[in-house]
Amino acid sequence: MHPPTTLEISSQVIPLMATLMLVVQLLLIAQRMLLTNIRLFAIQSLLLSGIAAVVAFNYNASHVYVVAVLTFIGKVVFLPWLLNRLVHRIQIHQDVEPLLNAPSSMLICAALTLLGYSVTRPFTSLEKLGNNTLAIALALLLTGFFLMINRRKALTQVLALLTVENGVMLAAVALTTYGMPLVVELGIFFDVMVAVMVLGILVYRIRENFDSMDTGKLDQLKG
Amino acid sequence: MNLDPLNFLGQTLALLLLAPLLSGCIKNWKAKLQNRRGPRPWQVYFDIAKFLRKDMVISEHASWVFSFAPYVVFLTALLAGLMVPMINAPAPLRLFGGVLAVVGLLALGRFFLALGGLDPASAFGGMGSSREMTISAIAEPAMMLAIFTVAITAGSTDLSQIAQSTQSATWKLLNPAHVLAFAAMFVVLLAETGRIPVDNPATHLELTMIHEAMLLEYSGRYLAFMEWGASIKQLVLMTLLVNVFFPVGLAGPQASVAALGISLAAYLAKLLALSAVVVVVETTNAKMRLFRVPDLLSTAFVLAALALLSTFLFQ
Repeated sequence: MHPPTTLEISSQVIPLMATLMLVVQLLLIAQRMLLTNIRLFAIQSLLLSGIAAVVAFNYNASHVYVVAVLTFIGKVVFLPWLLNRLVHRIQIHQDVEPLLNAPSSMLICAALTLLGYSVTRPFTSLEKLGNNTLAIALALLLTGFFLMINRRKALTQVLALLTVENGVMLAAVALTTYGMPLVVELGIFFDVMVAVMVLGILVYRIRENFDSMDTGKLDQLKG
Repeated sequence: MNLDPLNFLGQTLALLLLAPLLSGCIKNWKAKLQNRRGPRPWQVYFDIAKFLRKDMVISEHASWVFSFAPYVVFLTALLAGLMVPMINAPAPLRLFGGVLAVVGLLALGRFFLALGGLDPASAFGGMGSSREMTISAIAEPAMMLAIFTVAITAGSTDLSQIAQSTQSATWKLLNPAHVLAFAAMFVVLLAETGRIPVDNPATHLELTMIHEAMLLEYSGRYLAFMEWGASIKQLVLMTLLVNVFFPVGLAGPQASVAALGISLAAYLAKLLALSAVVVVVETTNAKMRLFRVPDLLSTAFVLAALALLSTFLFQ
């Protein structure tokens, strides 16, 4: 048995970490505690940042290193801290019963992942590093949308948006290493960052005005 | 291929003797982690020896099923264990069946366990049986799918062959599909062995108990066989987990004594590592409400289903 080359290791580490991202996403769907949800999101972002670092190392692409570092600082450290503080300020620790119960939402997510797999089937090949993670990226995107629809609390919807963004980033990092210029990646990154901060304030205002984070109550006009 | 008598005898003895020790270790470590002194790891042997000596009290309403069940539970667990490679890769009873036989034997044991709970017509026993069946109805398919994932990669449902092919593959980290399958199998392990998020193995008279509720009417020799069978079943499932997913150091068909020694050491190390993880999970989690348990198990089921799908994606 010859010692494995760096490329061989990377081509196995990347699908492994991407799969773990999917596992974390599924746990996020089954879990209702807000603080645990935030922690799971941080783990998912850490995995994404790891994937970016591995890709950057293999292609010697310095701008992907920037993405890895920014993801780490922004999504593993800063945003979880911000959301944690928000949870402590609004004193709500648990999402109410989601619209669909856990077993059926898990089944729906399995179906969505299957859809992701089958749609990306023609694009996957083993020639380029991490190409088969496109399926997982699409699955993260779809299940993230589902999570956003299924939950009632504004804060979990923000988290769902962030996981959707993680899916987009995964696709960008693993699929088009050279394709996405740094400017675009920076643009997406700061877009999300600002969006979350604005949404955080919005969530707080919703809570102040309606005594609840339930977005279902927002359809009634109040003078 | 013939039945190797030494292999057969060795694995039977290992299953019989190692299983109570492993249960004892888990109990002891759990106590240590909770700042209690805890029973010594070999206490379970004394318990079983004592139960074997004691008289039995049997309800007058009990039929033959009640006295039949302990032997079935014990023997099915033992037979299933002989089909899983422990230290030596061709398991002693590999000619008689693979994955399906193991799952089937465990299901047969569970069926009789549930019948044994129902038979003396005590309210607790019936409740335990009904709960056990509810949980296993979801846990069992998850287990099947998870093992099939590995079987597809190996191209065989024979467990010895699965272990060997995972081992001899060219340099390979964990396959992503195997990661999903392992996660599912771990949840199934917790559910099947009655560990904390699903059932509490330390309770004896609580409304929430599942496995203990079915054993409530048993005493003496029958109880010894039930307890022993349960710990063997736990050992079998843990062996399945460590040797199918991490067959590092598993000795091949014509292994020397030294290779067998290394294999035994590696096996024990893996087993203890897995037990440590189980202990940490048990200590850091609270028991789930019974109606939330299907949530956990359906997560395991979906993970296993995705694992099976992923084998086609990441091959």
